[in-house]
Amino acid sequence: MTDTVLSLTDARLSLDGNAGRVDILHGITLDVARGESVGLVGPSGSGKSSLLMLMGGLERATGGTVTALGQDLTAMDEDQLARFCRDHMGVVFQSFHLIPTMTALENVATPLELAGARDAFDRAAAELEAVGLAHRAGHYPRQLSGGEQQRVALARASAPRPEILLADEPTGNLDETNGAAIIDMLFGLRDRHGATLVLVTHSEPLAQRCDRVVSLRDGRAVDHPQKAAAE
Amino acid sequence: MSVATARRFAARELRGGLRGFRIFLACLALGVAAIAAVGSVRASIEAGLTREGAALLGGDAEIEFTYRYASEDELGWMNDKALALSEITDFRSMVVVDRDGEAERGLTQVKSVDDAYPLIGTVRLDPEIPLAEALAGDGAAMAPVLADRLGLAIGDTFRLGTKDFTLRARILSEPDDAGGGFGLGPRTMVRTAALEGSGLLEPGTLFASKYRLDLPEGADLIALEAEAEAQFADSGLRWRDSRNGAPGVAEFVDRLGAFLILVGLSGLAVGGVGVSAAVRSYLASKTGVIATLRTLGADRGTIFWTYFLQIGALSVLGIAMGLVLGAVAPILLAPLIEAQLPVPAVFTVYPGPLAEAALYGALTALIFTLWPLARTEEIRAATLFRDALARAPLLPRPRYVIPTGLLVTLLLAAAMLFSGTVELTLWTAGGIVGALVLLALAARGIRGLSRWAGPAARGRPALRWALGAIGGAGEGAGEVVLSLGLGLSVLAAVGQIDGNLRSAISRDLPEVAPSYFFVDIQKDQMPGYLERLEGDPAVNKIDSAPMLRGIITRINGQPAAEVAGDHWVLQGDRGVTYSAAVPDNTRVTAGEWWPEDYSGPPQVSFADEEALEMGLALGDEITVNILGRDITATITSFRDVDFSTAGIGFIMSMNPAALEAAPHSFISTVYAEPEAEAAILRDLAGMFPNITAIRVHDAIDRVSELLSGLAAATSYGAAATLLTGFLVLIGAAAAGEQARIYEAAVLKTLGATRGRILRSFALRSALLGAAAGVVALAAGILGGWAVSRFVMETEFVVIWPSALAIILGGILATLLAGLGFAWRPLAVRPARILRARE
Repeated sequence: MTDTVLSLTDARLSLDGNAGRVDILHGITLDVARGESVGLVGPSGSGKSSLLMLMGGLERATGGTVTALGQDLTAMDEDQLARFCRDHMGVVFQSFHLIPTMTALENVATPLELAGARDAFDRAAAELEAVGLAHRAGHYPRQLSGGEQQRVALARASAPRPEILLADEPTGNLDETNGAAIIDMLFGLRDRHGATLVLVTHSEPLAQRCDRVVSLRDGRAVDHPQKAAAE
Repeated sequence: MSVATARRFAARELRGGLRGFRIFLACLALGVAAIAAVGSVRASIEAGLTREGAALLGGDAEIEFTYRYASEDELGWMNDKALALSEITDFRSMVVVDRDGEAERGLTQVKSVDDAYPLIGTVRLDPEIPLAEALAGDGAAMAPVLADRLGLAIGDTFRLGTKDFTLRARILSEPDDAGGGFGLGPRTMVRTAALEGSGLLEPGTLFASKYRLDLPEGADLIALEAEAEAQFADSGLRWRDSRNGAPGVAEFVDRLGAFLILVGLSGLAVGGVGVSAAVRSYLASKTGVIATLRTLGADRGTIFWTYFLQIGALSVLGIAMGLVLGAVAPILLAPLIEAQLPVPAVFTVYPGPLAEAALYGALTALIFTLWPLARTEEIRAATLFRDALARAPLLPRPRYVIPTGLLVTLLLAAAMLFSGTVELTLWTAGGIVGALVLLALAARGIRGLSRWAGPAARGRPALRWALGAIGGAGEGAGEVVLSLGLGLSVLAAVGQIDGNLRSAISRDLPEVAPSYFFVDIQKDQMPGYLERLEGDPAVNKIDSAPMLRGIITRINGQPAAEVAGDHWVLQGDRGVTYSAAVPDNTRVTAGEWWPEDYSGPPQVSFADEEALEMGLALGDEITVNILGRDITATITSFRDVDFSTAGIGFIMSMNPAALEAAPHSFISTVYAEPEAEAAILRDLAGMFPNITAIRVHDAIDRVSELLSGLAAATSYGAAATLLTGFLVLIGAAAAGEQARIYEAAVLKTLGATRGRILRSFALRSALLGAAAGVVALAAGILGGWAVSRFVMETEFVVIWPSALAIILGGILATLLAGLGFAWRPLAVRPARILRARE
């Protein structure tokens, strides 16, 4: 039997805005197995990023259930979610979201420090080396190129050895060469550490590298091609 | 949560430098500096008074009697204790100069001295001759202001009472002048022995005798005071010593200092608004970082501490800057300040006032930053891809509300403790909080009004954009109205109170106040005195009453201070009169007046308002020391005494038999047409050279001068508040600059000219400034009305010049701050801005 890492049952998300209530996700049911890679695709506004944030506990479902590693994320408060993220998840954003006042090394060390790791900086240095940026450890984000910033973000996400890696259009702000390099690294990390990978992308080739692709339209999952099973 | 981790994160965040914190630091530093400077100047004066205590007093200790000289026993005791003793007499009189058959008169405060005077220090004279030489024989020295007014040159003669004196020198300084307090007449100094035959200092004349004691080194002043008071209890003796050489000045400096520090606290409150705005703006710029930290697993506590420690470090920096400024400024300005002070001051760094200012600064910073910091809790990770902070609750969680309440209580308690005036502190705090609430509500009202009025401005785009901007969140209407409004409110209140007081003095008082007070009229002079006046058609009214002076020493056998505390009636001597029947202008409010022929044990009628304040009841016994004799009288009635019309008002009136036998003189007020005043003075002074005339207008002018000084001091305090408010305005304008740049870029692409955009920017500044001015004026008028109505009990009218100045000031301040940040938005090229936004 497959070991399920992420499980969504009839998950819904609605938000209150100035123009009234907006329904973003309409009852998503989805299981992600350990070690599996899943690509979330769909047009802009289809709810891909929202679904990813729901999986990472960064957004709270307004209906249904979301469980990660057997724990119900919808039942946790903000601090419990933060600690759960720290211990089990790594997130990579399209806009990198590095902390501008911290060096590359400090950025990577931050989740380890938050987890109370005594060797946070040694491990962060090793992680930077793994993404080829050991020589840029003392540089601030503004001193790094877009590709380098995303590599730092990748190192930061993988440093605590998360069981689940979430990536929100990780190549969206990068040129083709840098984008390809980042994707190689992302999958390399997944392979090395056996993490489960869920990524949002507009890129068809990138989606095709995933074990499975989930397509979203107007907040609904319209198909679940079982690519891995077919191979 | 780990504070150690938060500390590391905070340190990294602070590497970004002080960008965005300049207004924060300036607001805090200025508020702290103002309080530290006022406290330091106060401490400098207090140190000066302590160091120069003996010189200010004219001896190590002083024993004062009212109305009499020391008895043999008392003199014996003083001679026994002191190495040297000096006796001086102090009283008011008239200097008369005969010139071309006309007599010119001037009120003077005469100080007659013995050969031992001054025990400490020297009297500086012009020409530079020793005092003994100047006063030898019938010589005199006089304050230059009086000599000039009367046209007296060195060598000229003048009269005091019935005796001629020769002016030998002008007084440049007296070592013991500052301790004397408020005097109506400039000084004339003569020898006491020379007054013999002048007709002055007759029995019943109002005078004070002061004995200065030069004590052995290391004499125990506390023990000596206790001994003197025990030995001569109830003799009306008053003791002062070099521990507090000028108690009147010390008390005045202390009160004024406390008041100005409270005004300074309002400046700090305005600074708090700026601090709070700066923190909110900073945290808004950190939303992405905070959300990122949350995705990385930082809990709310860690994030709160990360930013709390940063703001804390910056607060420490701001407070330190303020302390340095507040400590150094008085030292640098020492020569200027000293030139304005009538007393010595020792300018150095005083840790006490600096600690007080630091405490106020720290508490204010905490109070105003805790809530914005609490908002970091509401920043969720989802903010990274969506504005998830749109709906934050109005109040933070109780864990932040309760400490904020405790901090406010602590600040109030500290202000009460340091100022020593609970009531004034509470009124000031109530005023500040009330004004802040009123201003916050007004700001909401202004925004609502702007939104409502927006559609009406269709066809006038500059005005419509201005109204739209004020109605929206970006223009910082709340900050502008709060920061500018509080300073303007204080200024408006000062303007209204000062203006009303002046108009009460100049317009209302002359109608009800007498032309002259005549004092020291002997009983046998009264018929002649009344005869001169009663036949004069220009005289409208004459009030006369016998006058003695006495000190209330006991109430129901207990020392008076133990029963009624430090009520002003107990401080020094008070006038006492007697009357067989209820005088025409007196209304008995409780009890019964004695029968006209009453000759039993002494009875007294007491002023009802003061009796109520002192806790006196009918049937209570009060002991009054008059001329060294104790008179114990039973309070048999209370009566209404109106002190506001400058007429004769006595706290105590006794039955005639109780006082008639004591030597005394009469006091009289004369209400006359202004054109007849000179003739009345000439005739009466000619007939009775010993009597002293006090022109009420001159006295009122002196009081007005004092009030002007107080109003000016308060205005300086308010100006510091206003300056802080202006800094907050600059902060608000700077914070809104990016939004204005974007707005200007969009408007330009739509065809708006720079002139039109500038007009819109100017309009929104002017409208907000005017609104802040109007609200402040309303608050100021309310405050002014309350003070006039309830404290000064005078009529209140709006002083329009001051009111208009407040509104114009509001407009000008916002225009300056707003337009200072309008140039960049006008200068930018739209394409670059709009592309960067995509």
